[in-house]
Amino acid sequence: MLFDWRKRRLIRFSSKGVWLIVLCAIGAMADQPIAFPHNSHVKLGLDCLDCHIGADTRAAAGLPSVRKCMLCHAKLAKEKPEVQKVIAYANKGIEIPWVRVYDFPSEAHVKFRHAPHYQAGISCSTCHGDLTKETVAEHTVTHTMGSCLTCHRQKHASEDCAACHF
Amino acid sequence: MNQSNQTQHRWGMAIDSDRCTGCQACVAACHAENNLPLSDAESAARGRAVHWIRVDRYYEGEFPDIRVKYMPVLCQHCDEAPCEPVCPVYATYKNPEGLNVQVYNRCVGTRYCANNCPYSVRFFNWFDPVWPSPLDLQHNPDVSIRMAGVMEKCTFCIQRINRAEREAKEEKRPLADGEVQPACVQSCPAEAMVFGDLNDPESKVSRLAESGRSTRLLEELGTQPKVFYLQRAT
Repeated sequence: MLFDWRKRRLIRFSSKGVWLIVLCAIGAMADQPIAFPHNSHVKLGLDCLDCHIGADTRAAAGLPSVRKCMLCHAKLAKEKPEVQKVIAYANKGIEIPWVRVYDFPSEAHVKFRHAPHYQAGISCSTCHGDLTKETVAEHTVTHTMGSCLTCHRQKHASEDCAACHF
Repeated sequence: MNQSNQTQHRWGMAIDSDRCTGCQACVAACHAENNLPLSDAESAARGRAVHWIRVDRYYEGEFPDIRVKYMPVLCQHCDEAPCEPVCPVYATYKNPEGLNVQVYNRCVGTRYCANNCPYSVRFFNWFDPVWPSPLDLQHNPDVSIRMAGVMEKCTFCIQRINRAEREAKEEKRPLADGEVQPACVQSCPAEAMVFGDLNDPESKVSRLAESGRSTRLLEELGTQPKVFYLQRAT
């Protein structure tokens, strides 16, 4: 089975906010396989879309493959211990098992798409925090239906339940 | 509901019962598209089978001069839906495009809606759904997997409607007639089912709905269904 149905049901019938808290906790504590510093990459002039290539056109923003890391790190900063780990993953031919920080639990029944939000001019930092100051990605912004709807109202986007939940 | 920046559609369907051969392709397609759990003889006998669309059979005449009429029955997306006012938590409502929508998050499982539906097209999840391997690997990611304790029903494949509308918007063009096809319509080999915008008088479904062959199921109840059944005018 793909999901822990039993657990999901227990959560569902308890407090609605519990999953958010649980997610925040997981996100904040996320122990990434590599201490990837977002801030230093942003400082070097990389755009979010350079690595999260789906954010402007697809549903999922996506994580870069290890080959993408190696486009630069085959030459750059090879001596750093964290980069060494990247090289090790690349040499083994396996993807870096990043821990996902932001996600909607399947019990929220949300079909979120990045593309329309990006095209509506919502900046990445609105939902993901200021990554110029963060090192390893953390769950800094809490997403609730209230925060989604506030923005949808301001931007005159659809407030129909079925726009997101189906 | 602020939808003023969009063209308002009013989705409807026409089903030609003279064309339907009762092949059940629509039922299979619906199951695959909408992550419906499978049912067996035992669950069906207990009234727990879930089919968002079913093919009803009607026999006309006496054996051996018998004629079978098939009628695919799905949610009729009634304009005056009997399921909506009985929901204590507003989990089912009419969306701006005329779809009768079920919000799984809101549903608390009173089952009033299913009891009040004259077409018996609403289904309750008595258990968490289970699929025999490898069917558990073929879920449609665009559709939720409903948990135990909530109602579910035909959505007119709202994920396909949303996708077509999104693509049309990105390409800055109006949605063409016939561009949105729910899984059942797409799979019908006899092309007995037509889906489209009832607000567009030129759409195929509007013309069929206004043809003399059109009837609606249990119309006398005043539910104003948006599924039109076409049959030989007698």
